[in-house]
Amino acid sequence: MNDPVDGIDPAALRTLDSLEPGESATIAHLAGEPANVRRIMELGLVPGTDVRLIRRAPLGDPIEFSVRDVRLSLRRIEAAGIRVSAR
Amino acid sequence: MSAPADPRLAAGGPALVTAEAPPRAERRRTIAILGNPNSGKSTLFNVLTRLRAKVGNYPGVTVEKKVGGCELPSGRRVDVIDLPGSYSLQPNSPDETIVRDVLLGLQDDTPPPDLIVFVVDATHVDRHLYLALQVLELGRPVVLALNMMDAVREQGITIHVEALERDLGVPVVPISAKKGEGIGDLRRTMDRDVEPSTRRFRQWPPHLQRVLHRLESRLPRHETLPDRARLDLALALLLDDGEDDQLARHAPPGVLDDARVLARRMDATSRGWRSDDVEGRYEAIEEIVRRAVTAPGGKQDRVRDRFDRVLTHRVLGPVLFVLIMGAIFQSVFAWAQPAMDLIDRAMRALGGGIEGVLPAGPVRSLLVSGIIAGVGATLTFVPQIAVLFFFLGVLEDTGYMARAAFIMDRLMGRVGLSGRSFIPLLSSFACAIPGVMATRTIDNRRDRLVTILVAPFMSCSARLPVYALLIGAFVPNVWVGFVTLPGITLFSMYLIGVLAAVGVAAVLKRTLMKGGRPLYVMELPPYRMPSWRSIFASVWERSMLFVKNAGSVILAVSIVLWFLASYPKGGPEAAALESRAQAAELAGRPAEGKQLKQEAAGVALENSFAGRVGRALEPAIRPLGFDWRIGIGLVTSLAAREVMVSTMATVFHLGNADEHSASLREELRGAVDPRTGRKAYSPLIGISLMVFYVLACQCMSTVAVVRRETNSWRWPIFMLVMMNVLAWMASFAVFQGGRALGLGS
Repeated sequence: MNDPVDGIDPAALRTLDSLEPGESATIAHLAGEPANVRRIMELGLVPGTDVRLIRRAPLGDPIEFSVRDVRLSLRRIEAAGIRVSAR
Repeated sequence: MSAPADPRLAAGGPALVTAEAPPRAERRRTIAILGNPNSGKSTLFNVLTRLRAKVGNYPGVTVEKKVGGCELPSGRRVDVIDLPGSYSLQPNSPDETIVRDVLLGLQDDTPPPDLIVFVVDATHVDRHLYLALQVLELGRPVVLALNMMDAVREQGITIHVEALERDLGVPVVPISAKKGEGIGDLRRTMDRDVEPSTRRFRQWPPHLQRVLHRLESRLPRHETLPDRARLDLALALLLDDGEDDQLARHAPPGVLDDARVLARRMDATSRGWRSDDVEGRYEAIEEIVRRAVTAPGGKQDRVRDRFDRVLTHRVLGPVLFVLIMGAIFQSVFAWAQPAMDLIDRAMRALGGGIEGVLPAGPVRSLLVSGIIAGVGATLTFVPQIAVLFFFLGVLEDTGYMARAAFIMDRLMGRVGLSGRSFIPLLSSFACAIPGVMATRTIDNRRDRLVTILVAPFMSCSARLPVYALLIGAFVPNVWVGFVTLPGITLFSMYLIGVLAAVGVAAVLKRTLMKGGRPLYVMELPPYRMPSWRSIFASVWERSMLFVKNAGSVILAVSIVLWFLASYPKGGPEAAALESRAQAAELAGRPAEGKQLKQEAAGVALENSFAGRVGRALEPAIRPLGFDWRIGIGLVTSLAAREVMVSTMATVFHLGNADEHSASLREELRGAVDPRTGRKAYSPLIGISLMVFYVLACQCMSTVAVVRRETNSWRWPIFMLVMMNVLAWMASFAVFQGGRALGLGS
C-alpha cells in the first residue's frame, strides 16, 4: 500500500526531484492529487520500483528519469510529491 | 453477490450498456487494435488495412475514429478499428475515455469489438502489460501481439512465448510490424475463434472489494458486457470525477450518486484507495515477466542515450532545437511557396480558359471569380499543410517531438500550457490552419482548446502583404541604430500577436478552462527511423480531410463574397465609364482606356453590397481611424487577409497594383476625406489598421478548420467574437490614445 512503511515518516525521505543526474533510488511513497498519483503509479512508479534520474531539462523543468527501462518526463512540482529512498 | 461469470448470459432488465449488437451472423466482425502509445500499433494497423482506412470523429468529441477493412486468410472480411493509444482504462484524456467506453460498451456508435489485438512493445513488456492485464480482465477475446521483436533480438533479450501464453491465458504472437515479420501468424490467429482468458490477475483489497461488489450488484446485466467487466464498470463509476458524459448518460438513476457518496466516504477512511489496484497489478506483472523475459544484465549505452546527450544537452539542446525549428519553418515557406505559386497559376489559367470559352455574364463571373477562386483558395493551403505534416510526422516518428516538448515545457508552462503546444503555435506563424490541425498531439483537452484559440494570434504569412503595404506607405525608411524603423514596426506587430496569445491563454486558463491541476507526464520514446510510408500516408490523409471538410466552407464563403462584391452591378456611373473606356481603346488610346476601366471597377465595387456594407460599417470603425474604403477591405478580407491589398488597389482605381506598388502607397498617403477636405489616412491610422489585422479573426478558412478540430460551432464563434472585440479595442486604444498624445490624427 502507498502508506508509510516501517514507521518511517515519508517527510524524512528525499523527493524524486532532489535526485542528481545519474543517481538511482527506490520509490517509497507518492503524494499529491489522487487522480494524478494513480496515473503516475499506473505508468510504473509503484512503491518498491527503482528509478534513475537522467537529467533536468535545459530550462530546469521538467525532469527526465528512467523507470522500468522507460524514459518519462515529469514536472518538478509533481516529482516533489514522490518520496524515494536513495541508494 | 454475483454468480461466477458466464459471458453469454442473456440480457434482462433495463440496460446500462446500450450499444446494441445485432446478431453475430449478420454483422461484420470487428477487431480492435489497442496498446500503449509508441507500441507500434498504428504501424500494425496500416499493415493490416493496407493503408486504406476511413477517418472520422467519435460523435461529440474531438477524438478521431480510424476504421479499415482487412481480409483474413479464410477469406472472411473484418473491420479493424485503431483505438487511440492508451496507458490505462482509467482515463486521463479524451482519447483514453473513448478506449474505455468502447471496451465497456458505453460508446453508442461503436459496439465492443469481437476480438482485441493488443500490441505490446516487447522491449518494455512490464510497463506495457499494465493496460494488457486490465483489458484481459474484461473477459473479452484477446490476442497479444508482441511487437518490435527485431529490437528484442538486437538488445539480446529472450522472451519465452509459451510461458507468456500460459500465464496470460491468451494466444501470444511475436511480430515486427515495421519489418513485416510474423504478420501471417497474427492474421491466422485473428481468424480463429479465440476464447477470453480465464486467468485472474487482480486482487482487490478487502475494503475496495466490498464497495465494488455493492455497486456492481446494482448494475443491470447486458449481453454485450461480460460479467467480469462489471467490476471494472463499478470501479469506473467510483473513480469518476464528474466530468464523464458517457457514464452519466448510461448509469441507472441513483447509481452514479451512490458511487460518489461511497467514493467520498472512502476518501475519508482509506487514503490511497484510488490506486490500490495498481500495485496489485504490477505485482502480478513482475511475476509474469520474471518467468517469461530474460534481459541481458548491465547498463547499456544505447544509441538513444548518445542522441539524447546532445539533443537535450543543457546548452547544445536549445541551440540545436532552434536550428531544427528554424529549418522546418524555413522549409515550409521554401517548399510550399513554389507549389502554391503553381496552384495559383493553374487556377488563373483555368480561369483564363473559361473566360475564353464562355460569354461574359453572371455565370462566367461566378465560375471564375467565385468558384475557381474558392477552390483555388482551398488548394493553396494544401502545400503548407502537406509540408508541415511531413515534418510533424518525421519529428513524431523519430521521437524528437517529445524532446522538443521537454525543452519548451517550462516556457509554455508559464502561460498555463505545456511543451506540446509549442510546435503548433510556431507553425501558426506560417499559417494557422496547419497549426490548429497540429494540436491533435496535445492530449489535455483544455490545453488543446486554448492552443487552438490563440494560434491565430501568431501573425501568419497572409498578413504580410497588408503589413508591407501599410509600412511602405506610412513608415519612413530611417535607421534607428542597427535596424530600420520599418523593421522595428514589423517586429512589433509580431510581438503584439505573441503577447496577445500569451495574455488570452492565461486568462482562458484561469476562467473558462478551470480544472484540477492536470498531470503533465510524457514518455520519451527511443529514437527510431521514421516509417516513410506511414508518414506519406498520413500527409495524404490530413490534406484530403482538410480539402473535404474545410474546402466546402471556404468555397461557400468565396461564393458569398463574390456575390457581395459583384452585385448590384455598377449602375449608371460605372456603365458610363465602361463605355468611355471601350471608346478610348477603339480610338487607339489604350492607356486612357485602362485608366477608365480601373475607375469603372472602383465605382462598381463601391456600389456593390460589399461597398455598401463597408459604408455601413463606417460609423463603427471611425473611432479606429478607418473610413468606408478600409471598411470594404475589411469585408473582402473575410475571404483571405491578403485580399485587402487588391481591394485597396481597386478602390483607388489602380487595378492590379500590389503591396509593393509605389502608386498605391502614394494613393494611400494622399487620399483625401471628401467631407473634411483633409488627409484621410495618417501613419497613426496605418499603425491602428495593422494592429487590427494582428488581432482580428478574419480568416474564414481558419474558422472552418477550428470547427472541424473542435467538432462544434461553439468554439469557432467564440474565437470570432473574442478576437474581433479585442482587435477593435486595441485599434481604438492605439488611434485615440495616439491622438490624445499628439502623435497624429
